[in-house]
Amino acid sequence: MADNGKVKLNRRDFLRIAGVGAGATAVAAVTKSAAAAPSYQMESFSDPAGRPHRPWWVRTVDEPTTEIDWSKVQRYNERMGSTRGPGMAKYVGEDEVERLSEVGAKLEKERILAGVDGYTLKDYALKDAHASYGRSYLGPQEAATPEERGVPKWEGPPEEAARIIRAAMRHFGAAQIAFIELDENTRKLIYAVDPDGKELIFTDEKEASETEDARYIPNDCKYAIVYTVQMSQETMRRCPTVLASQTTSLAYRRGEIIQASTQEFLRGLGYQCLGESSTNALGIAPALAVMAGLGEMSRLNRLVTPEFGPMVRVFKLLTDLPVATDKPIDAGIMEFCKRCKKCAEACPSESLSFLDEPTWETRGGWNNPGHKAYFEDSVTCRTYWREQAGTNCGICFAVCPFSKKDQAWVHEWVKAGAATAPFLDSFFRSMDDAFGYGTQPSSESWWSLDLPEYGVDSCRPVQEV
Amino acid sequence: MSENIVVRVKKRAWYVWLLWAVWIALLLFLAQNAIASARELESRASMIFWISFGVALIAGAVIWFVRRNE
Repeated sequence: MADNGKVKLNRRDFLRIAGVGAGATAVAAVTKSAAAAPSYQMESFSDPAGRPHRPWWVRTVDEPTTEIDWSKVQRYNERMGSTRGPGMAKYVGEDEVERLSEVGAKLEKERILAGVDGYTLKDYALKDAHASYGRSYLGPQEAATPEERGVPKWEGPPEEAARIIRAAMRHFGAAQIAFIELDENTRKLIYAVDPDGKELIFTDEKEASETEDARYIPNDCKYAIVYTVQMSQETMRRCPTVLASQTTSLAYRRGEIIQASTQEFLRGLGYQCLGESSTNALGIAPALAVMAGLGEMSRLNRLVTPEFGPMVRVFKLLTDLPVATDKPIDAGIMEFCKRCKKCAEACPSESLSFLDEPTWETRGGWNNPGHKAYFEDSVTCRTYWREQAGTNCGICFAVCPFSKKDQAWVHEWVKAGAATAPFLDSFFRSMDDAFGYGTQPSSESWWSLDLPEYGVDSCRPVQEV
Repeated sequence: MSENIVVRVKKRAWYVWLLWAVWIALLLFLAQNAIASARELESRASMIFWISFGVALIAGAVIWFVRRNE
């Protein structure tokens, strides 16, 4: 009741206001505890094959969102890439490679002595701690087989096989696992030549084998297991620095361990499991992941997943254990990339495509033709790595609007909006900038963070109830 | 001498209740994002969400007072 312009509060009004205030406080407290509570819930697989329950806005489709002309796709000679085989020297010459190496070495010493943020001695030591334990095409072959135990090998329906492989690989540390069957088209995603120069040859022989010149893949080993390992978004956002790059190294090392464990696991069941002989060997990981439905291709020309964005490394295995297979997805990611362009704008070497639409035209021998993509200039990208960054870059990964920790509700809403209402994509991109996402914090501050193991939230389930 | 007390009860329209419910939901959404953005170490996003929460809270309070005094 107003009296001479002054608002008077009676007891009822006071109690109402106090109630609203208490309610708001309670909401904040509940929200805080909800935000702090782990998202992991111990539940049984709801799908007989253990397939993850994707968010409602992720649609399973028959054809991937990347347009493919399989008649033009060929099995790729991985030695044409800019990092392996002759590598950069093939495109820029030995002298230039030597010059870049000298520049890199000089920069490394100068930055250590100058104590440059993200390039200190302890940053380099942390990176070098991720030593390779070695990869093997045929696997360690240490585990006892059923035959050695005097028991029959494991047999079960494809759904159960997929489910137990998923359970095992999640336990080994894989974030997402999916399966495809190699047919006359997807077989082309297996390299013709591995990075070490050995040919990959499909054979009617039942047992896989390896010689000095070739690796033989039995035709029975026609089920590809494609899996991802999370990278630490909080670490990667400090790129391009040595500190940030080592989350990539860590993911590769974890992928290596998961490969060996999975190979031994399947050997113990009585089946073969063929792995990468070296980093990124055997086949085109992003392409296999797209066909298996782990994510979509993107402007940064790597896999972007609905759950983790591009903050994953992708790996593949081949097995002769029949498994229930998976299909591609459409989560609006490739469509979002048409309007976003944040990675291309942030790329200091302008190596990423600025085209509105993906194209069939490749930009060099490092690209495999036969699919529409935002092909990148790998040479300018790698030149920047060596000449300026001094290490792997990762800026495109860090600034991608899909690279989020997904604790705030708004991220799920934005992803769902991008998947269902593409006309909002430009607005979402603008808001991503306005809210400061993708900015680079200090590398030194990373050493004070109390991050979870591996710097990732392993409790973020791919399977959501 | 007798005193007459007049009690006037004004019933809120259904859409008024709905608008207040939307306001509460908006506060909840903004608060969650503010707190979670801080946990994500996204300080600028957290600040924007907190400011938005404050503005929405004050706006709702002002509207409530004004309507109450009409």
